[in-house]
Amino acid sequence: MDRLVGAFGFGLVTASILAIAAVAFTLQFGITNILNLAFGEIMTLCAYIGYLLNAAGASVWLALVVGAVAGAVFSALLNRTIYALFVRRGTALWGMVIVTIAVALIMQNTLLGLAGPHNFTYTIPPATTFRFAGLILTSLQLEIIGVAIVAMLTLHMMLRYTRLGKAMRATASDPALAQSCGINASRVIDLVWIISGALCGIAGVTLVMNTVSFTASTGSDFLVVIIAAAIVGGVGAPYGAMLGALLVGVTSEVAAVYVNASLKNVFAFALLLVVLLIRPQGFIGRARVAKGVVT
Amino acid sequence: MSSALQFYMSTLLVYLGVSLIACWALNLQIGVTGVLNLGFIVFQALGAYTAAVLTLGPDTSNGGFQHYVFGAELPFPVPLLAAAGVGALASAGLGSIGLRRLRSDYQAMVFLVAAIIATDVATNVTGLVNGAAGLSLVPQPLSANVGLSPLDYQWFYVGLMAILCAVAFLLIRRLTLSPLGRSLRAVRDHEDAAEALGYNVYRLRLMVVVIGGALAAVSGAALVEFIGSWGPGSWFYQETFVYLAAVIIGGSGNNIGVALGALIVPVALNELPRFIPDFGGPGFVDAMRWVVIGVAILVFLYFRPQGIIPEKRNRFGLAGTVRHRWSGLATRARVRLGR
Repeated sequence: MDRLVGAFGFGLVTASILAIAAVAFTLQFGITNILNLAFGEIMTLCAYIGYLLNAAGASVWLALVVGAVAGAVFSALLNRTIYALFVRRGTALWGMVIVTIAVALIMQNTLLGLAGPHNFTYTIPPATTFRFAGLILTSLQLEIIGVAIVAMLTLHMMLRYTRLGKAMRATASDPALAQSCGINASRVIDLVWIISGALCGIAGVTLVMNTVSFTASTGSDFLVVIIAAAIVGGVGAPYGAMLGALLVGVTSEVAAVYVNASLKNVFAFALLLVVLLIRPQGFIGRARVAKGVVT
Repeated sequence: MSSALQFYMSTLLVYLGVSLIACWALNLQIGVTGVLNLGFIVFQALGAYTAAVLTLGPDTSNGGFQHYVFGAELPFPVPLLAAAGVGALASAGLGSIGLRRLRSDYQAMVFLVAAIIATDVATNVTGLVNGAAGLSLVPQPLSANVGLSPLDYQWFYVGLMAILCAVAFLLIRRLTLSPLGRSLRAVRDHEDAAEALGYNVYRLRLMVVVIGGALAAVSGAALVEFIGSWGPGSWFYQETFVYLAAVIIGGSGNNIGVALGALIVPVALNELPRFIPDFGGPGFVDAMRWVVIGVAILVFLYFRPQGIIPEKRNRFGLAGTVRHRWSGLATRARVRLGR
């Protein structure tokens, strides 16, 4: 029982990081219609920029802020310089998947080539440990959960109560109609890349804050669970992604304790297969049916 | 030719044969039908493992230093055929879940995730196929029976490979030129229209995933019977993108173009780095190889999405008969990947 509660605690931390990433991933898809498989590489890039700062003596929190900015700038640039070109060229949906994969290959291996096949480690001051109700979490892990909650709440407020959020939701459900209502769709799309890119950067840095060390392929390894969480929750549905992240995060950490830590991603995938079999539209699935993702 | 050069050339020819079969199979899925199977390499790996364990004998042989399941010592063509069967079954299983109600880009993601997970399983469940160390000492087929010198055996295997390639090519050609091939292209070019004409899009997609899976498994089996070892490092999920690049660069949808792609990308790009001096840090040249593949995919998709040798477009005669013709350079740059 203690093990289960302990694993649940780890699951909450993983789920928090996963929620930030999965929401950003799903937001990119839902509004811009691009499945950005270079997402994991942008996470790694931000984690690496954070590492450079951290190694130069900055605290991880400064690294987090700079990582978020870097993610925002890089994602927006990536869309403007590469993705938008192919969209304008009329490349089909699955052609865009190939484009994002090519970008992922280029990014990951450029980083690997320039930084080398090393384990990079963040220097983090020792944290105090808190125990309550059987959960054992460090202050750093609690702070990561806090960052995720703040990010999710901010995003929720923005989507729900601001004009920009309204414009985003409108563009997501029907870009042509949104445009004819006077919404500047290309500006909305730029902003989506900036916001989701910032979340991607935060996810990248918090992921490494939790695991302490990373390599050039850490982000693309994490992409597996991001995709699982996004599909389980219902792709294109931000609230579904949060739910999916919680399910996938807790499932994989509990499996790590009870079965085999190196197989935890396999359980995330098993969950994905089960969801695909019984409810392919995901838990919050209306958005996907509307966009023709599932028939 | 010196015998060292002969060894090198014959090995290269066997690799080319493996790439040809794999690229034709992937082209059937991606180029002809528009199923973006990003987990393609898994089926090649599955074929290789199947052939390996069915050739190695029970895992107590060789002093029992490797641990794997289903060990048996079967005569030559049997492991190859078993590999094809396992490849077909596994792709039918994954395809029936992943292809069923999902949009094409989602199907691609499910296959990609499956590929990454499969490597995880093969690496971490050590009893399955000897974990991260992989399988080795797989005996070469018929080597005891034919009694050839090592060099002559190399050329013997090249001959075997040529026969396999010829069979694969005739099969794929038959499929793509038949009325069935036209319905596959209809699924690729306009899914809804194909559906409206009464085609079962899901069944057609599943069919090419299964046929392609079986062929991929055969290519893996042929490779492992030749090189004698196979491990998780041989089929990292990114390896799929090598074949993907070959299909896109050669000319997706065109079997001859894809063959050219198989010569350019998997063979030339893997071999060329051997001849340039190692520079940069450790692993730098290898990392740059992947960057080159990524850039090549982007450049071709943007400037020449139809590839070096574009797909032939069917022309129809007055009686409705199909006349096959080269679309040639005169065809306006049609966006191959567009609907």
